[in-house]
Amino acid sequence: MPLTTSEPAAASGKLKRFLGQLIWAAVAVVAAFSLGAMAVNRGEHINSAWLVLAAVCTYMIGFRFYARFIAARVMALDNQRATPAERLENGHDFEPTNKWILFGHHFAAIAGPGPLVGPVLAAQFGYLPGTLWIIIGAVVGGAVQDFVILFASMRRDGKSLGKMAREEIGKLGGFVALLTVLLIMIILLAVVALVVVNALAGSPWGTFTIAATMPIALFMGWYLRYRRPGKVLECSAIGFALVLAAIFAGQWVAQSHTWAPVFTLSAVALAFAITLYGFLASALPVWLLLAPRDYLSTFVKLGVIFLLAAGIVFVRPELELPAFTRFTDGNGPIFAGKIFPFCFITIACGAISGFHSLISSGTTPKMITKEWHAWPVGYGAMLLESLVAVMAMIAACVMHPGVYFAVNSPAGIVGGTPAAAVATISSWGFPVSVAEMQQLAHTVGEQTLFYRTGGAPSLALGMAHIFAHSGGGRAVIGFWYHFAIMFEALFILTVIDAGTRVGRFMLQDVLGHVHPALGRTSWMPGVLMTSGAVVVAWGYFLYQGVRDPLGGINSLWPLFGIANQLLATIALCVATTILIKMHRARYIWITGLPLLWLVTVTFTAAWQKIFSPMPRIGFLAQARQLQATLGSGAVTGARIAETQALIFNARLDAVVCGVFMILVAIILVDSLRIWAGIFAGSRTSQVLEAPFVLSRLSTEEA
Amino acid sequence: MTRLRMFRSLMLALLRELADEAAYQRHLAANGREHSPEEWRKFSDVRLRAKYFRPKCC
Repeated sequence: MPLTTSEPAAASGKLKRFLGQLIWAAVAVVAAFSLGAMAVNRGEHINSAWLVLAAVCTYMIGFRFYARFIAARVMALDNQRATPAERLENGHDFEPTNKWILFGHHFAAIAGPGPLVGPVLAAQFGYLPGTLWIIIGAVVGGAVQDFVILFASMRRDGKSLGKMAREEIGKLGGFVALLTVLLIMIILLAVVALVVVNALAGSPWGTFTIAATMPIALFMGWYLRYRRPGKVLECSAIGFALVLAAIFAGQWVAQSHTWAPVFTLSAVALAFAITLYGFLASALPVWLLLAPRDYLSTFVKLGVIFLLAAGIVFVRPELELPAFTRFTDGNGPIFAGKIFPFCFITIACGAISGFHSLISSGTTPKMITKEWHAWPVGYGAMLLESLVAVMAMIAACVMHPGVYFAVNSPAGIVGGTPAAAVATISSWGFPVSVAEMQQLAHTVGEQTLFYRTGGAPSLALGMAHIFAHSGGGRAVIGFWYHFAIMFEALFILTVIDAGTRVGRFMLQDVLGHVHPALGRTSWMPGVLMTSGAVVVAWGYFLYQGVRDPLGGINSLWPLFGIANQLLATIALCVATTILIKMHRARYIWITGLPLLWLVTVTFTAAWQKIFSPMPRIGFLAQARQLQATLGSGAVTGARIAETQALIFNARLDAVVCGVFMILVAIILVDSLRIWAGIFAGSRTSQVLEAPFVLSRLSTEEA
Repeated sequence: MTRLRMFRSLMLALLRELADEAAYQRHLAANGREHSPEEWRKFSDVRLRAKYFRPKCC
């Protein structure tokens, strides 16, 4: 019987489908094999390529199957439905944008210091727990949160998380979400400022380079405003060249007998300098300092991430840290606490970050051309962020464990002298010598690398190691180290100045109800007062971190991690409520399971941080221990006031942690009340989406 | 070669978007205006005010 014309086409289609299935099966096998190789290896160094392969293949499977399932079956994305970008196009916020450009835009917005610093700190447990959580957490938690919130905001004319919380859960939910964001920002700004302070303390090279970025940013601001208006790329290229020149000049400064002492600042002096900077940046016009620095930092950030990925693929370094260290027992020198729950709150943004929900319900939903673009933009960009976290983990683990712990451990834990520190660290089974540390410090142009807590210096060391092995060798390692420090500090400072400004706006918004003039952003006394209030708030926590004998990171980073994950809890409450209202209750496990996990992790962590009897974990136990020491008369002279301040700080941290728990518990109970009402039939399940409008844009145009 | 050119133009477009240059061009087209230093300053003020009203991600 002769073949009909459609039969060859059908046969070819079947073959294509079969080949496709074969390729995806191969990807799944590689993912499973790489995860297995990573997980079962003990006692031998493994190559970083296994981590990259495991991550990339798992992301591909998650993206192709899980996210597509969510997009098609749960959200029912529809390219025939006009998005807000098309319906409300105004040439400003609402603008249909190419999906890959929007992907880059969204990624640049969600990528902050969190995914870089968190994994470096969590490496104290070994490479395995953190890496597994980064990969799995992103695929089933973080990317899902970003994707669902982006979808929900896109269907609601680009509404913010706060507005959606108010509309879907209730007025209380919206207010609590706003308050939580403000509190989280204060802790966030303090902790990222602490990272910069610890990276620059006693480092004239680093301090000079970062100080030089301020006049460079001012110059860029002037250039863009008056010399070549509108030429942002040109201006940023000039700024980047000047920053590179500042790194080279920094080496000269560090070697100069005259200038090195000027730029060798203590942690306390740096904390005051950064606080003052935050105040100025918040009060000055945006175009003068904040915007040019932000443009520059965005380009440098994307460039360095690309460079680091290329370096890891090219060098494929071996991991020196083991899969698990002895600190899984909860006695880690960097931060105290066991893998559960502390690994999961330390790695915040690399696996799941509440802050992303603010971006997913901010600019991005207003720029999506077609509904299906939310799939790569919302889910895919988070996977890329997670890959950045895996790269940071690799950069931390390529160091010798002894060096890693010598850099990251505070003097209060390992001993106040280099000799005492190496003796303690070597006794843990991670041999390191003073000579080795001195040699390393000399190579990167630092006076010392002991007690450089916060994660930034060790990340810079790992990155410099990878970059130098890509070409140039030890001769250029000092440049790369300071390049990495500059890169981290540059965008952390951008987070600080933008955050202080936003905190000021939030405060003005609230105070405007008390006294209308305080709400006006053009009334200078109000601007100065509210800027000062926000700066004092985060500056206080920064100062507390700097003075903390345990390094500050031990108390502040978990606080930040808890706060950030609690914001994710709020986002997932909103997402679950929306799914229920959409009559997708049978799929609530998609957001419900990550929500359940986050609630368990964050509430356990918060509870332990407040009530654990171990002074290094529990704030109240720490306060009690200090009180007992004070009462025994062991503390004398000027240290009495210092100890009293430490007791107050520990109690304050406990209160802040408790407030976070209460705020999120309110939203959780409010959400449960609504869900129960809908399931019981006593509450209507009204979907608050914008009405359907047929899209005029063809898929090709998009 | 064509794909390489496409990739390059996509990257340039992304950089222009991140630099707000694309948004400025859209602003000029939408309002039927010509580029001038004063026009850029007006656009930039509005754009930046909106941009830094939102927190930056951590």
